[in-house]
Amino acid sequence: MRYLAEGHMPFNQDGVLKSAELVRAFLVMFLEVLLVVKKVRQRKQDGTLYLMAERIAWGPEGKDRFTVSHLYADTRCQKISPDGKAKIQLQLVLHTGESTTFHFSNDSSALKDRDAAKELLQQLLPKFKKKANKELEEKNRMLQEDPVLFQLYKDLVVSQVISADEFWANRLGDTNHADPSLSNNKQEVGISGAFLADIRPQTDGCNGLRYNLTADIIESIFRTYPTVKEKYCENVPHNLTEKEFWTRFFQSHYFHRDRINTGTQDIFSECAKQDEQGLKSMVVQGVKNPLVDLLSLEDKTLDEGYGVCTTLPSTSNSNRSVKESSNSAIIKRFNHHSAMVLAAGSRKGETPANQASETSNTDGNSRDSVFFQPPVKKVKLKEAIEYEDLQRENRPKTVALNLKKSDRYAHGPVPLQSQQYTTSQDIINSVNYIQHEMVNYKPNLTQVLSSTTASSAIAALSSGGVLMQAATQQAINQMVPSEVQGELKHLYAAAGELLRHFWSCFPVNTPFMEEKVTKMKSNLERFQMTKLCPFQEKIQRQYLSTNLTGHLEEMLQTAYSKFHIWQTRRMLRKT
Amino acid sequence: MLNIEGLLVHFPYDYIYPEQYSYMLELKRTLDAKGHGVLEMPSGTGKTISLLSLIVAYQKVFPLEVSKLIYCSRTVPEIEKVVEELRKLMEYYSKQTGESNNFLALALSSRKNLCIHPEVSSLRVGKEVDGKCHTLTASYIRAQRHSDPDLPVCRFYEDFDAVGRQMPLPAGVYNLDDLKDFGKRNGWCPYYLARYSLMHANIVVYSYHYLLDPKIADLVSKELTKKSVVVFDEAHNIDNVCIDSMSVNISRRTLDRCQTNVETLQNTIQKIKETDATKLKMEYRRLVEGLKEANVARETDVYLSNPVLPDEILQEAVPGTIRTAEHFVGFLKRFLEYLKSRLRVHHVVQESTPQFLKDIFDKVCIDRKPLRFCAERLRSLLRTLEIADIADFSAVTLISNFATLVSTYSQGFTIIIEPFEDRTPTIANPVLHFSCMDPSIAIKPVFQRFQSVIITSGTLSPLDIYPRILDFRPVTMASFTMTLARTCLCPLIVGRGNDQVALSSKFETREDFAVIRNYGSLLQEMSAIVPDGIVAFFTSYMYMENIVAAWYEQGILENIQRNKLIFIETPDAAETSMALEKYQEACENGRGAILLSVARGKVSEGIDFVHHFGRAVIMFGVPYVYTQSRILKARLEYLRDQFQIRENDFLTFDAMRHAAQCVGRVIRGKTDYGLMIFADKRYARADKRGKLPRWIQEHISDGSLNLTVDEAVQLSKHFLRQMAQPFRQEDQLGLSLLTLEQLESEEMLKKISQIAHQT
Repeated sequence: MRYLAEGHMPFNQDGVLKSAELVRAFLVMFLEVLLVVKKVRQRKQDGTLYLMAERIAWGPEGKDRFTVSHLYADTRCQKISPDGKAKIQLQLVLHTGESTTFHFSNDSSALKDRDAAKELLQQLLPKFKKKANKELEEKNRMLQEDPVLFQLYKDLVVSQVISADEFWANRLGDTNHADPSLSNNKQEVGISGAFLADIRPQTDGCNGLRYNLTADIIESIFRTYPTVKEKYCENVPHNLTEKEFWTRFFQSHYFHRDRINTGTQDIFSECAKQDEQGLKSMVVQGVKNPLVDLLSLEDKTLDEGYGVCTTLPSTSNSNRSVKESSNSAIIKRFNHHSAMVLAAGSRKGETPANQASETSNTDGNSRDSVFFQPPVKKVKLKEAIEYEDLQRENRPKTVALNLKKSDRYAHGPVPLQSQQYTTSQDIINSVNYIQHEMVNYKPNLTQVLSSTTASSAIAALSSGGVLMQAATQQAINQMVPSEVQGELKHLYAAAGELLRHFWSCFPVNTPFMEEKVTKMKSNLERFQMTKLCPFQEKIQRQYLSTNLTGHLEEMLQTAYSKFHIWQTRRMLRKT
Repeated sequence: MLNIEGLLVHFPYDYIYPEQYSYMLELKRTLDAKGHGVLEMPSGTGKTISLLSLIVAYQKVFPLEVSKLIYCSRTVPEIEKVVEELRKLMEYYSKQTGESNNFLALALSSRKNLCIHPEVSSLRVGKEVDGKCHTLTASYIRAQRHSDPDLPVCRFYEDFDAVGRQMPLPAGVYNLDDLKDFGKRNGWCPYYLARYSLMHANIVVYSYHYLLDPKIADLVSKELTKKSVVVFDEAHNIDNVCIDSMSVNISRRTLDRCQTNVETLQNTIQKIKETDATKLKMEYRRLVEGLKEANVARETDVYLSNPVLPDEILQEAVPGTIRTAEHFVGFLKRFLEYLKSRLRVHHVVQESTPQFLKDIFDKVCIDRKPLRFCAERLRSLLRTLEIADIADFSAVTLISNFATLVSTYSQGFTIIIEPFEDRTPTIANPVLHFSCMDPSIAIKPVFQRFQSVIITSGTLSPLDIYPRILDFRPVTMASFTMTLARTCLCPLIVGRGNDQVALSSKFETREDFAVIRNYGSLLQEMSAIVPDGIVAFFTSYMYMENIVAAWYEQGILENIQRNKLIFIETPDAAETSMALEKYQEACENGRGAILLSVARGKVSEGIDFVHHFGRAVIMFGVPYVYTQSRILKARLEYLRDQFQIRENDFLTFDAMRHAAQCVGRVIRGKTDYGLMIFADKRYARADKRGKLPRWIQEHISDGSLNLTVDEAVQLSKHFLRQMAQPFRQEDQLGLSLLTLEQLESEEMLKKISQIAHQT
C-alpha cells in the first residue's frame, strides 16, 4: 500500500481512470499490492508487474487479468542481469526448475524499477523460503515417523490416485496445532566452516571479478562476524548501497586474510581491530582446561639468558619481512575464523551457562579462579589417569531388551496415562521375588477342585468345549498368507483414507465442495480400478476365498450410491 | 597382589597388561642391583602406575634399602597426574591391608603454582612471584621488621616459620592443590612447607629442574638421601634439559643491565660503609674461613654435589683479590668491560674455554682462580648487602655464573660470539653463547649420588645412545612393546604424491610447489575420511608458515575447511592454548578439526590427543634440527670426538625421537586408535625407520613403505572402518590383558618373557 500512495496508482496520463484499470486498481488494493512496476515485458509482451504480499504477478497491457502469477513460496531464487548489459532483466527460478524472465523496458527508470523489485523480493523471498522448507521438513518428518501414513502416501500419492496437495490438505492443519513443543525446540543449524570458500570469485572477462552472494552466505557472514553486521546496519542504506557495501567488503583486507592492515579509511579496518580485541580478550581470559594450558605447562622455566638459544625468532616487528608478517596474519585469522564459526554454532543454547562460568572466571583474579578451577581440573586429571580396560566392568546389571520387531517397539501403542517408571533393578528384584516365591511354593492339597469339576472345566476350555465355541471358526489369519494380509491392510487403510475425504465433503453446500466431491468420487473409482481389482484377481488366482474384499466393495458401493443420490438431487434442483 | 620375583606388589587394578609385568620385573632387577636403568615402554600402557606400585612395594618391604622415591617429570600436568595415580595406589593399599597409610608423598612445584598469598599469587608470572616472595620472606627483611613493624609481611611464611617446622606434615598424598588447601587451613606457606617436607617425605614428585639445574638443585635437593630411587619420566629429551641448565647467553642488553647492577652494588657498598661497616668486616672474616662448611658436608656425604662448584674449590678460601666488597666490584667491572670489548666483533668467533681464559688473562689480567669463585662471592655479597629484590640482579648473577662455569670446565663447553643473526646480517645484535655440549656434566652428580636412577619414556629408541651421551653404565636396558588384541595403530609412510612427485621436506625441495601441493592434497583427503580430530606436525615454524601461506593461495585450506575447522599453533603460548581448547571443543561437538602444529614445539611435547581428539597424526617431513646453527655444529663435533657418535647418526636420532614423540601423541592406550602418517619418503630408509620405537616399527609393513596419497587414503579407510567396530574387554583378555590367574600360569609367564626378550 505504501507504494500505491506514492503515485503508482494506475491513473493514466490525463488522470482519467479507464474502466479496466479501475477494476485492476481495486483488485490491486484487495490483494495488498506492495509494488507496481509498469512497462515490464514478458515474452515480448508489454505489461505491468505486481509484487503482492504472497505472490508476484504480471498482467499484459490492457487486460485485466494476470497471465503470470507465482507464489513466493514456490520461488527458489531471483537472478538479475549484470550491470552494463543492454537488457535489464530479472529472472525468477521456481522450485520446479521453471523460470520466468521479466524485462524492464522503461527507458528512463528501468534500472531503478528493477532494483526496487529486486530489493523487495530480497526481503520477501527468505521469509517464504523458510516457511516452505519448514513445511517440507514437517511432512518429511511425519512420513518418516509414521509407517502407516507413509504406506498410505505411497498408495495414494505415488500411484497418483490423489495429488499430494489433497493428501496433505487436512493433515498438516491439525498437526500444526497438535504439538508446538516439537517444532519449537528444533536445533539451531550451525555454519559451514568454508562459507567464505563458497564465494568463488569469477572473472567476468573484462578485468573484473564477480562474487556470487546468496542470502545464506550473507547470513553466515553476519553470524560469524557480528562486527560486519554492525557495520552493515550502520552504513546500509544510509551511506552505501548494499552492493557498494559488499564490494568494499571483498576489497578489504578483512576478507583477504593475507593482507595486512594498512589504510584507516576502510570501514572494515575497525572490524579487524575489534576482532583483534576479541581475540585478545579470549586469549587473556585463558583456557578452562588446565591440561591444554601451555602457559602453566612448564614448571620452572630457565631464567633469561640461560639455555641454548636455538635461533630465537626475533620479536621485534621491524625485523620481519612483509611476507612473514602476512603469513602470521593468515595464521591468526584462520584461528580466529575457526573460533568464530565454532562460537556461532553454539552461541544460542549455551549463553547462560557460559556467562555464569565466564564471570566467575574473569572477575576474580586468584580467589575466584581458585574456587572455580579445582572441579574441572580434578575431573580432567581423573580422566587422564583412567585405564578403563584394566578395571573390571562393574556396571549395574541390566535386563537386555530382546526385540523381535523393532518397528513395533518404536511405533507401538503407548498407554496414555503416565506409568510408573520401573528401573531394571526393579525388574530384576521382582523376578527374583517371583523365583523366590516359586521355590517356596507348596500346593495346598486340601483346597483343590474335585476331579470331576476339574475335568469338566478342562473340557469346557479345550477346543470344541462350551467356552471355546468361537475358536472353531478358523481365524482369517490362518487361512490367508501373511503377505496378502498385509496387502489387504494397506488397501483398507487407503480406502479408508479416500472414503474419509469423500464423506467429509457432505453436506455439499459450496461450489468448491461440489468440485471436490466429484473429484473424490472419481478418485474412488480410480482406486477401485487400479488397486482393488488387481487385488481381487490376485486372490482369485490363488484360490482364496473371494469375500475378503467384500466389505471394501460394500463400502465403496455405499459411497457411490450416496454420490448418485446427491447427483440426481442436484440435477433435479438445477432443472 | 602380584608376585614379582618374590616381591609382593599391590597393583590397584583388576587386570594387568603383560608388558606392565615385564616392566616391573626389569625394574625390580635394577633396584636389586642398586644400579641405573633405561626402560622404554609405549605411552598408554600404564608405565607410571607400574613404576609406582613396584617401587612403593619395594620401599615397604626394604625400607632400609630404598628410603625415598624421587619422581621427576616434565610438565605440571604430568606431575599432578603422577600424584593422582599415587593417590589411587595408596587408597588401594589401605583398603587391602586395612592399615592406615603411613607414607608421605608430595608434589613440589614453583611458587607460582603453590603460593596462597593473595597479592603475590595474583602476579601469575613465575619470575615476578619469586621476586615478590623474596621481598617478603628474605631473612634480613624479616630482621629489619623488628625495628620497623610497618614493613609488609607474608603471614603464611611467618606462621610456617613459627610453628610449621615442629610438626611434620601428616602422612598422606599431597598434590599441589592439597598442599594449598592444607596451607590455607593452617595458615602456612605451602611452598616452604613442601620444601621442608621434602626431606622426610617417602615420595617426592617434581620437575627435572629441581635435580638437574645446579642453580636450583643446590637450594632444593641438596640434602636428599643417598638411598633414593630417582626416576626421570618422559626422559627422551633429558640431554637437552641438562645442556640448557648449563648454558649461558650474553647479549649487549644483558651487559647493559649488568652495568647498572654493578653501579647499584657500588652505591650500596658505599652507603653501608658509612652506616654499618661491621657487616662487611664480618663477611670478610667469613670468607677467610672459607667454604669449609660445604666441604665438610660433602665429605660426610650429606650433600648432592654441585657441578658448578667442583671439589677443589671447596678446599680453598676465596682468593684475596676479591675478598673485600670493593675489590670484588672492581673485579666485576673489569670483567664486564672485557666482555663488552669481546662483543664488539664484526665476524663470528669460536673458541674453547682455555683460549678464552688465556685471552682474558692477556687482556685484563684476570686470573682463573678468582673467576671460579665469582658466583659464590656474589651470592655472599648480595646477602651481606641485604638486597631485597634478587630478580633485579639477574644480569649480574648470570655473568658471575658464567665466570664460574667458564673457569671451571676446560672441556665440554664452547664459546661462540656472533655479531649478528644469520638471517639479518645488517642488524648488529652481538651475542656471546657459552654453550654446554656435554649433557653428562649436569647429570653426573645425580648418577653419582643416588643408588638407582631410572630413565624411562615412551620413546627412547635407540636405547644404547642414552647411556653414551649421558655417560653412565646401566644395569638394565629394555624396550617393551605394546601387546595388542587388535592393531590399533596404523603407521603409513607416504613417499609420493598422486602425480608420483617424491614427497620430502629436505632443503632442496622445500620451496617446491609440487611438494607443497601434494602435502596439501594429503591433508585434504585425510580431512574427508578421518573422523573428529587430525593433528599435523611440521618440521619448523617457518616451514609451517610458508606452507600455510601457499595452501591459502592455492585454495587448499578453503577446501579443507569444508570438512573440518582449522586451528594453527602460533609462537604465542596463550594464543595456542586457546586454539587448542577450541580444537578440542570442535572435536567434542562433532564438527571435527585439524590442528597444524610444529615438532619440537610445546604442543608436540606436552599435549596428549586421546581418543577422538586425535584419530590421525600427519608428520610432514623429517623434523631435523636447524643444522646451520654453529652451536649445533660444535656439539656434533664434540659428540664425534668424545663419544664416537657420527654427526649423521645423532641428527637422525634426534629427528626420529621428535617424530616419534609427535606421532605417539595420538595413541594413549589400548582402547585408543589412530593413524600415523609419515609424509616423507626418507622415512622408508632403514636408518630412519630403524630408529623409531619398536612398538611403532613393528607395525610398519613392507607394503606401506612408499605409498602414494591415494593408496594411503585407501589403507586408512580400511583401517578406520575396522577400528570403528565395537571393542570389548573380552576381546583383550588373555592376549593384551591378563587376570591374576592367567598371569600366574606357567605358560603365560613363558610367553611374556619371550615377548620381552625379543630385543
